[in-house]
Amino acid sequence: MNGYRFDKLKLLVADDNQHMRKLISTIMKAFGTTSVYEAESGEAAWQSLKKIGIDIVIVDWQMAGMTGLDFVRKIRNAPDSPNPFLPVIMLTGYTHIDHVRLARDAGANEFLAKPVTVKALMAKITSVIENPRPFVRTKTYFGPCRRRRNDMSYKGPERRAAPDAIDVDGIRPVGSGKTGSHGP
Amino acid sequence: MSKQQPIELFMPPNILKAKLGGDSHSIDFAAIKRAEAAIEEIKAEFPDWIAEDIALLTASCGKFLSEGDGNAVGRLFRASHDLKGQAATFEYPLVARIAASLCQLIETTEKPEAINGALALAHVEAIRVIFREKIKSMSDRTALELTEELERKVHAATERNAAAK
Repeated sequence: MNGYRFDKLKLLVADDNQHMRKLISTIMKAFGTTSVYEAESGEAAWQSLKKIGIDIVIVDWQMAGMTGLDFVRKIRNAPDSPNPFLPVIMLTGYTHIDHVRLARDAGANEFLAKPVTVKALMAKITSVIENPRPFVRTKTYFGPCRRRRNDMSYKGPERRAAPDAIDVDGIRPVGSGKTGSHGP
Repeated sequence: MSKQQPIELFMPPNILKAKLGGDSHSIDFAAIKRAEAAIEEIKAEFPDWIAEDIALLTASCGKFLSEGDGNAVGRLFRASHDLKGQAATFEYPLVARIAASLCQLIETTEKPEAINGALALAHVEAIRVIFREKIKSMSDRTALELTEELERKVHAATERNAAAK
């Protein structure tokens, strides 16, 4: 047993589908998290973030109004963001590598594909606890480093990458044509 | 070719790890077992959940067929996308597959008015029938043939749309 104090965790689930919110809440409460907050829209989630010291957000990509991508960009870049470093797990039915790239480029830490399983959710939560990515600031991006590899010694210019630059959740790029076009 | 753009790379303190503690070298199997047991307990609610999601899909499709604008398409897409992601969890994998096919039909058609309404409706009707008949198996022959036929039609529509661009 790894003995995480999940009872201390404050987790926010933002999804406009109440059944998905309930499913994730049920899993997290069984892990031991008592403080699971739910929001049915990106706007409501943003208000919750401002009121509560949330530790991790799980946000659905497809929401009316503020989408999951909009929400994570706001967390990373808004001047009034309560925590630009907040770990964000992007929940989605999309599984294509291009969608993984979009979530990554918005500033998501992890990508959780539906259908959600207990083991996959535990793996993503564990990953944000144990393997946080360094943060990157460029002219056009602020957020977790978009490479899984944590090369903290790198001091050079922004790298426009080779095919091995993407390794998000074990999803590897197919072909090398567009791969790594988004930099570090 | 590399862009000579300066970057700042830094590691924020791991506040989460400090707060939650834990041993990074093992998985909390007890927590996983508890969660799987909790899912078993709420499984009785799954038929009601998926029924609500299918009702929403049906209503969204009705709105789309009568109004056909971007908002109606957005609602239909979100409803089908939810089923694509959740129906397998709710024990209807073929519903998830048909919903995925409907998502593809919507996503690959550039203009809302160009979406084949009859084909969209056929997806919704197929989902309703599979749920009504409680077909939870991936290998039910009739349901599988229906699914594959819908996928073939969407594939053909996707190719036509791509060629028309």
